[in-house]
Amino acid sequence: MSFLHIRNLHKSYGPTQVFTDINIEIGQGQFITLLGPSGCGKSTLLRCIAGLTAVDGGQILLDGQDLVPMPPQKRGIGMVFQSYALFPNMTVAQNVAFGLRMQKVPTAETNQRVAEALELVELNDYAGRYPHQLSGGQCQRVALARSLVTRPRLLLLDEPLSALDARIRKHLREQIRAIQRELGLTTIFVTHDQEEALVLSDRIVLMNGGQIVQSGDAETLYTAPADAFAAGFIGNYNLLDADAASRLLLRPVNSSVAIRPEAIQIGGLGIEGTILSHSLLGNVVRYRVEARGVELLVDVLNRSAADLHREGQSVSLAIGADAIREVA
Amino acid sequence: MKSSISSKGWALLCLVPFALFFVAFQIAPLAWVASNSLNTPQGWGLGNFQQAFSSPFYRQAMRHSLEVAFWSSLFGIVIAIIGSYSLRQVSSRLRDFVMAFSNMTSNFSGVPLAFAFIILLGFNGALTILLKQMGVIEDFNLYSKTGLIVLYTYFQIPLGVLLLYPAFDALREDWRESAELLGASNWQFWRHIGLPVLTPALLGTFVILLANALGAYATVYALTTGNFNILPIRIAAMVSGDIFLDPNMASALAMVLVGLMTLITIVHQWLLRRSYHVAR
Amino acid sequence: MSPAEKRSPLFHQLVVYLLFLILLLPLLGTLVYSLSTSWSATILPSGFTFKWYVALWSDARFLAAFGRSLLVCFGALALALLLILPLLFVVNYHFPKLDGVMNVLILLPFAIPPVVSSVGLMQLFAAGPLPILGTPWILIGCYFTIALPFMYRAITNNLQAINLRDLMDAAHLLGASTWRAAFMVVLPNLRKGLMVSVFLSFSFLFGEFVFANLLVGSRYETLQVYLYNMRNDSGHFTSALVISYFMFVLLMTWAANRLNKDKS
Repeated sequence: MSFLHIRNLHKSYGPTQVFTDINIEIGQGQFITLLGPSGCGKSTLLRCIAGLTAVDGGQILLDGQDLVPMPPQKRGIGMVFQSYALFPNMTVAQNVAFGLRMQKVPTAETNQRVAEALELVELNDYAGRYPHQLSGGQCQRVALARSLVTRPRLLLLDEPLSALDARIRKHLREQIRAIQRELGLTTIFVTHDQEEALVLSDRIVLMNGGQIVQSGDAETLYTAPADAFAAGFIGNYNLLDADAASRLLLRPVNSSVAIRPEAIQIGGLGIEGTILSHSLLGNVVRYRVEARGVELLVDVLNRSAADLHREGQSVSLAIGADAIREVA
Repeated sequence: MKSSISSKGWALLCLVPFALFFVAFQIAPLAWVASNSLNTPQGWGLGNFQQAFSSPFYRQAMRHSLEVAFWSSLFGIVIAIIGSYSLRQVSSRLRDFVMAFSNMTSNFSGVPLAFAFIILLGFNGALTILLKQMGVIEDFNLYSKTGLIVLYTYFQIPLGVLLLYPAFDALREDWRESAELLGASNWQFWRHIGLPVLTPALLGTFVILLANALGAYATVYALTTGNFNILPIRIAAMVSGDIFLDPNMASALAMVLVGLMTLITIVHQWLLRRSYHVAR
Repeated sequence: MSPAEKRSPLFHQLVVYLLFLILLLPLLGTLVYSLSTSWSATILPSGFTFKWYVALWSDARFLAAFGRSLLVCFGALALALLLILPLLFVVNYHFPKLDGVMNVLILLPFAIPPVVSSVGLMQLFAAGPLPILGTPWILIGCYFTIALPFMYRAITNNLQAINLRDLMDAAHLLGASTWRAAFMVVLPNLRKGLMVSVFLSFSFLFGEFVFANLLVGSRYETLQVYLYNMRNDSGHFTSALVISYFMFVLLMTWAANRLNKDKS
C-alpha cells in the first residue's frame, strides 16, 4: 500500500483542461520530482495536493485518508513556495514558530523545536532578523525550516530554487536532499530543470500538456525516453526523423530516432563526417558534426587540448546499435 | 561626461527662475504669515497665540476643525477599507471601472460638491424627503456640523481608496496560502499577518485624510456662505470681507493650522517608511 | 484561489456596486436637477428639459468666466513647464543630491493650505513693487505652485525610467551638445510623464476656488467664482453649470487616458 496514492485526478479551468486522469503512487520516504515545461500542469497538481486549488474529480489518498474534502489547515502538509512567502512582519524565529503557534504547542517546546529547525538549515544566528534583511537563499532556507518544524507527513516544494542564482541553487538542493534523507520525509519536488530532477530524485514523473508522459527513475528516463518529447526534454538527444535516420544509418528506419551525444564515438571505422564547430563546456567538448547530410551533436570528455578536433577536419563516427533508440 | 565649470554654471542658472517664482509665491507668503503671527498690538510676542487659545470663539473654530476632520476621516477610511478589500476580490473590469470613476469624482469637490449636496440633502433635498418619508430621520440639517461631516466624508472616500488599494494589493496571496498550510484560519491570518502588515498604510492614509479635511476651504465656504465657525473660514474672514480685518490674528490662526499640518506630514513620512508596499 | 476566496464573490460585487452608488449619487442628483423643469419638495422632478443648458451656454458671462479659467490654467501650466523642465533636467543630471531637497520642497504646497498662503499673498502683493493682487497674474503664479508637486513627481519618475544618464552619454558620444541632446533625445521620451501630469494638474487647477476667490474674486471672474456668485440664481441653472464643468473635466481626463494608453 503506497503512502501517497493519487487516483484519477482531473482539473479544468472552464473549457481548458489543466490535467486529466492523473495516477501516481509514492512510497513513504521517497523523493519524487514532477518535471515538465511551463504550463504542463505540474504546479497546479501540486497546489491541488496541498488543497490550495480545488480538484474537479478523483482522490488523493495520504496514508489511506482522502485529502480532497479536507481544508489545507488540516492536511498536515508542508509547502515551500518559489517566492518564499515569508511573513514580512515577523522575524525568522517567529516565522518558523508560526505553525507551532497555530497548533497551540507550549512555548518552551516551540522554542526548542524552532532552534532545532534553524540548526538544520544552518541559520541559528539569524533568528532575530527580518525577511527583508536576508538574501534569497537564506529566505528559502527559512521557508524550509518553517515547513519542517511542524513535522508534516508530506513535503511539497514548488520550484523553490528557480529564483536563486546558480551557485546557491546547487548548494541548497544538496542541502534539501540531505535533510529529506535524514528525516525520511516523503517529498514531491516540482521543477522545469531536468538537471535538478536527475540529481535529486528517487523517481521522476515527466508531464506534458496535463498528461504523465513517463514515470521512472533517473537512469531509465535518461537512457530510455518513452517518446520524442521525453527525448527532447531530458538530456541533449539528437532527434532525427525517419528519413534522416535512414540516410545516416544506410538502412530503412520506420520511426523517429533519438541518439545520445555521448554514445557517438569519434575514431575507428564507421560513418565519415566533418567537424562543423566545437564548444567547450568545461569537462565536455561538444562537437557539431555533419555526416551523410545529417547534423549531429557529439560529446567527448575533455581529456587534453591535444585531442581537440579542428573545424573542417574529417572524422569517423561509430554509433553502437544500442545507442539508437526508436521513439514515437 | 563633460562636467566643466561653465556647464555647471549654466545649470545653476536654469534653477534661478524656478527659485524666484517658488520663493515669491510659496516661501515668501509663509514667511510673512509666520513673522506677522508674532506681531501684536503690544509689539512682538505670543499675544496673538494666547488670544487664539483663550478666546472661546477661536477655540470653537479649532474644535470644529478637529472634530469635522476626525470624524470624516474615520468614516471615510472605514468605507475605503471595505471598498478596497472588495475591489480586490472582483473582476478586473469592474475594478478598473469603479476605480477610474472614483478618481474622477475626486475632481468633484469644493463648490460644485456643496451645491450637489444641497440639491440632495438640503432642507428640500430629494434624499432628505425620501429619508423622512421612510422614517429613517426626523429632520436633517445639512448646514450643521453633522451635515458638514457627511459632506467631507464623501470627498474623503476617493482619496482613501486611492491610497489604500495599493496596500491591499501588496498583500500577497502566497502569504495567506502559507498560513493556511501551517494551520491558520482566516481570522488568524488577518490577526497575525494581514492587519500588522497593513497597519502602517492604514495609519498613513488616516493621517492624510486628516490633513485633507483640515485644509479644506471651498466646500464649507460654498455650503455655509462663510458662516460656519471653522479654522479656514475664520482665517479668511479676517483678511477679506467687509467687517473686521486683522491680518496678524489671521496669521496666528494660520500658523496653528500650519502646525497641525506639519505634524501630520511628519507622521505620514515616518509611517511611509515603515510600510511594506513602499519600495525600500 | 484558495477555498476561502470562493466565499461569496457576490458579496464583494455588491459592496463595490454600493461604493459606486454612493459616489454617483450627488452627481446623479445634480444631473437630474439640471434636466428638470422644476423639482421642489418632491422626490422626483416634475418634467424634463434642456432649457437650462441652452440658457447656460448662451450666457456671455458664463462663457467669459470659462474662457478666463482656461486662460489662467493654461498660462500656469505653460509657466510650470517652462520652469520645471529645466529644473528637473538640471537636478537629475547635474545635482542628483538636490532631489532629496526637492522632495521636501514639493511637500510645501500640500502642508500649507491655500488659505494660509493667501493671508501672506494678500499683504505682499497688494502694493509695493508687484501689485498683482486682483489680476490674473497672481493666479498664474499661485497655480504654478499647485501644479509643481504633480509635475515634479510624474516627470521625475519618467526620467528615472528612461535612464537619463545613459541616454545623455550616448548622445554626447554621437556628437550632440547637452542642449541638443536634451531637446532631441530626452524631451520626446518624457511625453508620457508630461501628458499625465499636465492633465492631472489641469483638472485640479480648473476646480480651484480658494486662491481665485480670495486673491482675485470678481475682478477676474473665473469659472468656480462665477459658480459661487450664481448660487442665488435658479438651482437648475447652477446644476447645468456644475454638470457642464464636470463633463469638461471628464473629457480632459478621458483624453489624457487615451493618450497614455496609446503611448505605452
